[in-house]
Amino acid sequence: MKKTLALCLFAVLTAMNSAHARVKLVALPERARVVVSLTNPDATLVEEERILTLQKGVNHVDFAWAGVNIDATSIQPRMMADADKVLVLNTSYPPNENALVWEIASPDAREERVRISYLISGLNREVVYKAVADGTETALTLRNYLRLRNQSGEDLTDAELNIGYGASFKKTIAHEETLEMQSEKIEALPMKKVLTWDAANLPWDPEYEKKTVGIPMSYVIKNDKASKLGEHTLQPGKARIFIRTKEQAEEGKPAGEGVAFTGEDWAQLTPVDREMKLFIGESRDVKVVQRKMKDEKQNIRRNNANNPVLWDTDEQFKIEIENFKKTAVNFVIVEHIPGYWKMAQTSVPFEKKDAFTIEYHLTLPAESTGAKKTTVTFNVNHLNVQGNEPAAF
Amino acid sequence: MKTDTTADHFQKRRVQTARPFSHWKLVIGHFAAVMCIAMLIPPAHARINVTTLPGRDSTQLTIYNSVDLTMVRETRKLTFRKGVNRLEFSWANTLIDPTSVEFRAVTQPDKVEVLDASFPPRVTNTLEWRIASEVAGEIEVEIRYFTSGISWSADYVAEAAKNEKTMGLAGSVRVNNNSGEDYENAQIRLIVGTVRLVEKIAELARRDGKDGDKPMTEQLAAPAKSALRGQMAAGFGGAVANGEALARKKEVVKESLSEYFLYTVEGRDTIPTGWSKRLPSFAAADVPVTSYYKFEKERWGDRVVRFYKFKNDKPSHLGNEPLPDGNVKAFRVATEDKLYAFVGRTNVKYIPVNEEVEMELGNDPEVRVEAKLMAWEKTNLHFNKDGNIDGWTTKETWQFEVQNSKEIDATLDIRRNFAGDWTLATGEKFEKVDARKVKFAVPLKAHEKKVLTYELTTRHGTNATR
Repeated sequence: MKKTLALCLFAVLTAMNSAHARVKLVALPERARVVVSLTNPDATLVEEERILTLQKGVNHVDFAWAGVNIDATSIQPRMMADADKVLVLNTSYPPNENALVWEIASPDAREERVRISYLISGLNREVVYKAVADGTETALTLRNYLRLRNQSGEDLTDAELNIGYGASFKKTIAHEETLEMQSEKIEALPMKKVLTWDAANLPWDPEYEKKTVGIPMSYVIKNDKASKLGEHTLQPGKARIFIRTKEQAEEGKPAGEGVAFTGEDWAQLTPVDREMKLFIGESRDVKVVQRKMKDEKQNIRRNNANNPVLWDTDEQFKIEIENFKKTAVNFVIVEHIPGYWKMAQTSVPFEKKDAFTIEYHLTLPAESTGAKKTTVTFNVNHLNVQGNEPAAF
Repeated sequence: MKTDTTADHFQKRRVQTARPFSHWKLVIGHFAAVMCIAMLIPPAHARINVTTLPGRDSTQLTIYNSVDLTMVRETRKLTFRKGVNRLEFSWANTLIDPTSVEFRAVTQPDKVEVLDASFPPRVTNTLEWRIASEVAGEIEVEIRYFTSGISWSADYVAEAAKNEKTMGLAGSVRVNNNSGEDYENAQIRLIVGTVRLVEKIAELARRDGKDGDKPMTEQLAAPAKSALRGQMAAGFGGAVANGEALARKKEVVKESLSEYFLYTVEGRDTIPTGWSKRLPSFAAADVPVTSYYKFEKERWGDRVVRFYKFKNDKPSHLGNEPLPDGNVKAFRVATEDKLYAFVGRTNVKYIPVNEEVEMELGNDPEVRVEAKLMAWEKTNLHFNKDGNIDGWTTKETWQFEVQNSKEIDATLDIRRNFAGDWTLATGEKFEKVDARKVKFAVPLKAHEKKVLTYELTTRHGTNATR
């Protein structure tokens, strides 16, 4: 179903004195320019320019948009050359029609460039990321794509598409067409691969599990200059990650290169200087055992009925991590500690993320198993416990 | 003097006007003549009048925006005989409130008197006045009534400069006519204000005593599109023919009236039923505007919401009249060749003169606030005589990471709500909005990041002193 935006021009000379004197003129001036602004996620703005041939006096310009999803209240004409001389006197809206009529007064016969802006629905954008990591998983090639879906009812020809950053694209996109275009490509973007073990989500003792515990694996990139990014906020969208592989050499041919898919995630909105963390799969080559080695109440205070009403605790934790991989691993342990607490002792420094969350950032050496395993211990005291301590905010 | 039946008259009028649906009619006859003929025919068909169809000399619409009410005032010149005259007024297929129809002589008012008004049986949407005239000849009369189905609304376009320090603000008024009646060459007046109605006009229009079950709106014939387009074109043509097509924008004259504001649109307009018309009301350039962002978890969660603030006063090139409530669409001039970026759309409340107003324009992900509780402590435990805890004090350390990813400066307004007996310790400047709310105003340069912290101490139970 082809639907079109039509702009008709009628002119009426003020000097004419007959009710039937409406002269239908050149009708349908072609669009001279179309600009589509996709910067606001709530609405897409279209601005189009047309050359109107105006007569001296009051002209009637008919703008119709049958089948196009335009917010009728948003339609706004702007005269580009002589906005103070060529005036839009009023706008009339006929019943049951996607159309309007402008009364435009012109001081003389002239051609005037008018820019008509309106909000359109059904023309949406998506940001899509595709990345290919090198075999060492220390750098990747990132391609950002803009995917436009046009369900607006309107064919846009040679439209300048502006997404709020970078240069605009000039593209033609028909109604019901989906168009994908590459907006950025960054080679050799530094990345970090991280495994994250969260004590709240994963089993403490794998011995009691029927399946090998998978530890979430993420790729982390930073939106900054050092990573050849940092120009603009990275928009949310789906990220698909691949890894470069060596292909088997076929007879008479050298071994080529290929890729394998390693996983995907929804990328979050990432402002400049912040990290984008993409959880794309699980690692089963790292084994974590966490045990609470000490769990005692201290300084118990009882009420007159001899019920405990207040106490402190003394708690010791031990985390043992074995890395079966032949490479070193960036490893993060997340621990959740509710209420009022003090760290009495820790074997390695931790990073406090918020009042109730700490993280240990470790590098597990290659093949650090058995006697070479990594061990973290910490001793935490909860203070003034009543049994109703907050664990989140 | 020619006589015919009412039915004949209806037919005649349709022929005369060739309009797609019938509207109200004005029929005048001499009382004596009516009586005379009534005796000759059966009582059910006794309403026989002398037909004269004086055109409307002027029509004025006073449209309210707070309720579905329009006052229509029209004047006509009628020829009266000395003695008792009968005047019939009918309004089929419209949304007129029958209880509101009033008659008044404009010329010689002391010599023309309405004796009574009757709503005749078995005839819909008709009333008859018996009018005593002491004079014979032409008299200008005014007929006034309320109708529903005509509304107006205000809307605004805000065009912020690239730096968002100033904006152009243009206001329009839009009149929608769904009354079933075409109003040609009408003077349009718009009331800004809230009037009280104890009964809805649309209901009164429906309740004419004979046809009460059918909603009037259902009776309104939906006119064919093509006919209306043609009609509108004719309307425009007519305006041109009357020399009223101004080659400039019509002025909308505003004046204060009791608790209301009256907008009078210059000249006359034709608005056929089913159509809407939008007219520019005012335009102000270089209105100082403050663009800022608010963060208040209780209102918007983690979202930062953008606002434009301006004042309806003279220094802001506004302040000539209150601004009626309406929809605003805000754009920002984004490029050298004045392409727009769409900022957001919202409804604004009624804005009195000299009032400051803020327009809420939606979330802007380019300004970010991350609020984190970094430490929580419970101390100063107090025990009652039973040994139970009845007083304690908590201390929360909060950290706000704020970031402006935009190319222009931004001001951030962070509001925090605290309950109970609290005290705040911080190196940041803050304003205590009320007993439970504080506000941090954080100016941010383009691409600037900041971290704000505060410590909130709250005394609970018996520790609380207020």
